[in-house]
Amino acid sequence: MPSLKDIKTQINSVGSTKKITSAMKMVAASKLRRSQEKAEAARPYSSRLEEMLSSLASSAASGEGIIKLLTGTGNDQNYVVVPVSADRGLCGGFNSSINRETFKLVKSLEGNGKKVQLMPVGKKSRDFFNRVMKDQIIESFVDLNVSSTGYESALNISNKLQELYFDGKFDKCILVFNKFKSAISQEVTQQQLIPLDVSNSEKEEEKENSSNAIYDYEPDEETILKDLLPKNVSIQIFKVLLESDAGEQGARMAAMDNATRNAGEMIDSLTLKYNRTRQAFITKELIEIISGAESI
Amino acid sequence: MATISFDLVSPENLVFNDEVGTIIVPGKDGDLGILPGHSKVMSSLRPGRVMVYSEDKNLIKSFFVSGGFAEINPEKCIVLAESVVEVNSLEKTSIEKEIQELENKEGKESEEQLSVAKAKLEAINVNYYHKI
Repeated sequence: MPSLKDIKTQINSVGSTKKITSAMKMVAASKLRRSQEKAEAARPYSSRLEEMLSSLASSAASGEGIIKLLTGTGNDQNYVVVPVSADRGLCGGFNSSINRETFKLVKSLEGNGKKVQLMPVGKKSRDFFNRVMKDQIIESFVDLNVSSTGYESALNISNKLQELYFDGKFDKCILVFNKFKSAISQEVTQQQLIPLDVSNSEKEEEKENSSNAIYDYEPDEETILKDLLPKNVSIQIFKVLLESDAGEQGARMAAMDNATRNAGEMIDSLTLKYNRTRQAFITKELIEIISGAESI
Repeated sequence: MATISFDLVSPENLVFNDEVGTIIVPGKDGDLGILPGHSKVMSSLRPGRVMVYSEDKNLIKSFFVSGGFAEINPEKCIVLAESVVEVNSLEKTSIEKEIQELENKEGKESEEQLSVAKAKLEAINVNYYHKI
């Protein structure tokens, strides 16, 4: 049976853990608000860009050079998968679900005879894939600090991807990331980044186009498309980074909230145990005194 | 005199959104003056100055953009710019220093940065109308 002192120490240590987790929860909550605002602020740009792109996409003939970002290379043998995780842990299943999903995706692609390379973003997925598929990693991006220099990081990633793409190193690029649904729920999502998937937006555009007159282009459609496509890749990545950042804070908040509650419950049950043990000691001592007195 | 709605959007946020009289944007092949009722145009932009004038033709704001796109229709003008700074907040000396540093570097990236920096300097120095 544990002594009273042991239980007391345990209660104290759980208490300080509780303090830490509740502080982390507060921090995550305030960061979440900021990340959410950022994600919302970035929305007009990306949606506008998508609109422009989809109205242009139809005019793109299968071509050489940059247009390939839209039309593809004609092959689908080589894949690059980009898992987007957080740099830090203590956020529930946030990172592990990304890693699991990516792992599954890679295995199923490989099962179909494709060659897959990885480009993990964030420490947690880099570390994971360093352990399990080290030789497939071509590049990794960590310490992104999305909230302050997000766009620059997105640019770095997109430049690297495009460099590899135009070198003919891969045919398709798929992002795996946590989509921010609400403060407490994220959804692991796969998005094809290269070649651009315009199938969804195109349908909407058709509706719009029928009522709208055609645009004049300056200098011409192709030049605009050439500017627009690389930019779109960066913006898509930027959007994903922001979503993932907001999701991370949300996940951390939920995880820490749980931990705080569990610590509270644990303290309650330990306190009960403490009191019972104390009572048992008192009773035992009383019995000893009484039985001692009787025997005299 | 009618107005046209103008959005200036950067990846980070919506910088400007209001009803205005005239906008001048730096199109790839030359500046475009946009008045309400402008025909539909989509243009890519060079680094330069976006100037916003009120309905009575006074300059409200002027921004430096480092390239981007403009989508124009009769009621609305949207400028998507990669980076946006107000021209008033640009500092001549620091840009001149930047240009000097970049001139010593080589490579495609610094060349691009150099042309942006030069356009910044031009944006400060160039004469423009406070009232049109």
